[in-house]
Amino acid sequence: MATVSKHARIVALLAALSAPLFSHVALANGEITDQVNHLSDHIDEYNEEVHWLQEKFGGVVDAYEEKGKGKVDTHQLIEFWEEVNFHSAIETQYVPIYASIWQGIYGVKQAIDEGADVAKVRSEEARLQQALWQALGAVKLAAQYQQRGLVEKIQTTQSEPTSGPDVIDDIKQRLHRVVAKYAEQLHEVATTLVHETYMQRFEGIEGALIEQDAALVESLEKDFNVTLPQAIDKDAGVDSVRDVVETMQKKLDKARGLLVEAEENRKSVF
Amino acid sequence: MQRRTLLRGLAAAGLLGALPLSSTLSFAAGNPRSVKQLPKLEGDLTLYLGRGEGGLYENVLDAIKDRNPGLNLQIRRGGTAALANTIVAEAKAGVRRADLFWAVDTGSVGMVTDQGLAKTLPEDIITQLKPGFQYPRFSPVTGRIRTLPYNTERVSPAQIPDSIMALADSDLAIGWAPAYASFQSFVTAMRILEGEKATRDWLRGVERNAKKYAGELGVVMGVERGEVDIGFANHYYTLRLKAGKPDANVDLAFTNNDAGCLVNASGIMALEDGDLPVNFIRYLLTEEVQSYLASEAYEIPLVNNVAMPQGLPNLDTVTPPDLDLRKLADLRPTLNMMRDIGVL
Repeated sequence: MATVSKHARIVALLAALSAPLFSHVALANGEITDQVNHLSDHIDEYNEEVHWLQEKFGGVVDAYEEKGKGKVDTHQLIEFWEEVNFHSAIETQYVPIYASIWQGIYGVKQAIDEGADVAKVRSEEARLQQALWQALGAVKLAAQYQQRGLVEKIQTTQSEPTSGPDVIDDIKQRLHRVVAKYAEQLHEVATTLVHETYMQRFEGIEGALIEQDAALVESLEKDFNVTLPQAIDKDAGVDSVRDVVETMQKKLDKARGLLVEAEENRKSVF
Repeated sequence: MQRRTLLRGLAAAGLLGALPLSSTLSFAAGNPRSVKQLPKLEGDLTLYLGRGEGGLYENVLDAIKDRNPGLNLQIRRGGTAALANTIVAEAKAGVRRADLFWAVDTGSVGMVTDQGLAKTLPEDIITQLKPGFQYPRFSPVTGRIRTLPYNTERVSPAQIPDSIMALADSDLAIGWAPAYASFQSFVTAMRILEGEKATRDWLRGVERNAKKYAGELGVVMGVERGEVDIGFANHYYTLRLKAGKPDANVDLAFTNNDAGCLVNASGIMALEDGDLPVNFIRYLLTEEVQSYLASEAYEIPLVNNVAMPQGLPNLDTVTPPDLDLRKLADLRPTLNMMRDIGVL
């Protein structure tokens, strides 16, 4: 995982939570209920679920340590995760950590399936546990924001962004989901999401953006159509895919600023 | 390269013979209306809006709402083809939720008009539009023309054939975006104008020297970088690239009276009777809105006597083909053909 300072992470988290969070309805792995709009009512439940997951994941690793390669059903790791309501809470609130959880689950699973040293498996498990606790912290923070009316309700119907800056925000959310889907080992879904994001979102703003910074558009064009799909296709690993996405996010932040400025200077219709 | 003027070409290519109102409209002109001449819009209106232009259509809609506080405008947004399908499906189910449908391409307009769901427009709306863009049941709003962006360092204008069909036999390195909707509409136009076999041969011929891009801005940028000599793209990508990069090594060429210089259009139709939907359409055809979309989105105004977008080179020397744009709705055979050949 790319190293980011604790302060930077908190700032990024707050920024993400205070922005419109999630406009997509189509989520994998279970139904998203209105529970995600009443997080504070369920914090105790989420807390219990994270402890339960910690125990279950730890149990799988313990069993591996005891029995060895080929004796443990590692698919249980995925089933445990998909069973909890906490799953949709973090998926709707903060996709980057959701991606880290999937990365952690598959990190443990693959290490066990490959017969890695127990120390290596424990290291992957620790990474997974860390992601779970981070996720719980993010959901608690989101619950506070929700109570204070500072975050938007999770949409139950799909909405379309209407302005250039809104489109950029939507693209950034979608790219987080690309990392999540890749981490979930759904590579085809991730690639399709990249393609759809380009065709349905970026393509709609790149004309306006190219008037402001042609080199930036050229660079993002390459990211959307070459760099990111290739990173997924070559199975470069979650960290590599995340690195590509984080680089794109920075370029998109710049693009957003340019579009806001262009819109301010745009002539009025009437 | 043999070229004629756009306006003369539009008149020559006009669809007047095919349209019920054409005989009285041949030279309809006059100055476009100002928004100041229009009545206030009051009441509830639901618009289905096809996705496109990254917010500029939204700016127009916001301006109309600001000017008409008594208007309760509900907007459903989505892909144009998906919305057209929704309108048809809703009609079959006996419900009608949309009062208006603003589509970014005329092919999707055809899907709805072919089902008899669009209302006939008043003559004063139709006569505001340029000859060749006058239809009884929908109003084109703005247009975009198919062009051949070429790299000015690698190709001279004299090397570029004035026939789109001749490009299949040239040795020029070509950039294209087969998955892109505008390209598919262009191939549909070719299929209608030149026939199935000629279009198949053309696709195979071009594919020999073609480099594929995801979208048409990508094509234009590939041309500018010199990855290819020439490409197929709507006009505005090149104009916008040149606005951001004035020394870009790219310019526009046009073919002559064939699908290569097709003018496609966004279009709006009324799905309910009454003054309100029709008056809303009149707002989109005002000089203010037409000029705004020309200057900000580089779209071609289709109302008479509104200035073209700045920087559109040689547009007055282009001849679009004679084609009823609604026929572009017949996309399925095009997609089947492209898949069959392996370019899609």
